[in-house]
Amino acid sequence: MIPIRCFTCGKVIANQWHEYKNRVEEGENSGAVLDDLGIKRYCCRRMFLTHVELVDTLAPYQ
Amino acid sequence: MTMKVDMLELSERSARFVLSNTTPAFANSIRRAMLADVPTFAIDDLNIYNNTSVLYDEQLGLRLALIPIATENIDDYTTQDECTCEEGCPSCEVSITLSAEGPKMVYSGDLISSDPSIQPADTNIPIIELKEDQRVVLEALAHKGLGKDNAKWQAGVACGYKNLPLIRVNNCDKCGLCVSECPKGIIYLDEEGAKVSEENLVDCILCKLCEEACEIDAISVKEDESSFLFTVESDGSYSSQQLIINAGNTIKTKATEMQEILNNL
Repeated sequence: MIPIRCFTCGKVIANQWHEYKNRVEEGENSGAVLDDLGIKRYCCRRMFLTHVELVDTLAPYQ
Repeated sequence: MTMKVDMLELSERSARFVLSNTTPAFANSIRRAMLADVPTFAIDDLNIYNNTSVLYDEQLGLRLALIPIATENIDDYTTQDECTCEEGCPSCEVSITLSAEGPKMVYSGDLISSDPSIQPADTNIPIIELKEDQRVVLEALAHKGLGKDNAKWQAGVACGYKNLPLIRVNNCDKCGLCVSECPKGIIYLDEEGAKVSEENLVDCILCKLCEEACEIDAISVKEDESSFLFTVESDGSYSSQQLIINAGNTIKTKATEMQEILNNL
């Protein structure tokens, strides 16, 4: 799961994750999507760029 | 000299303004009050009845705590320490329940608050993705608190300020070196020499590259030590305007308390 807030500044970022993921999967440039979503600071941007979704990987081992 | 506030931008969640004719100490106290001394509600206790999701109870608690909670009348509530009750009562505690069964994505909008005036600021924050047969049933207790105790009670996000620049140009020979050196591209040339327009002044980052580039020392950039450009963002528990006002009120209350203590000496 994407962290609720940016680790550094505390901005709520989790509510933007779905749109970011879908748009990047459709082939859009991730930097352009972040600009469009209004994620300005590099602390918040790295939260999106470096996030790895693990829920689906872990789900079978419950 | 009286203090002056110039609003540059004001939206629901962010603001930019210039505070002038004041001291660095006051500007810093406003910044610190916005980050640490404006009370908000946050979930800080959980009763978990069932959790078969992929997250541990503790992780689920951490995620819930970070959801900003908006309150209409924060002054009607007290912090748990100041409350006369011992075990939590309606004036210091709000119960929020969550009950969900997979497969579904649980959002902050699925939280059901016992007090309609206290609700999550955003309803679209994903809390946990539940797969088939996974279940989460819990009761969360939200309390009033201050950002200095824990970041979950922090109402201001990335609040900061910088000094406004004082740019002086004397005997410019219009060589244009400063224009090409400026990373923000705010310097331009006219008949009299290099200039920076009034509205672009706030974009200056005081890097002083123009000063270094100038071969005849015609341009000088200094900090205006009595003017501050504030950038304020709210996490949603208050509007940015209310956040700034509340920060001011907090300082006022503290100053009054200080005065009372001194008077009673």
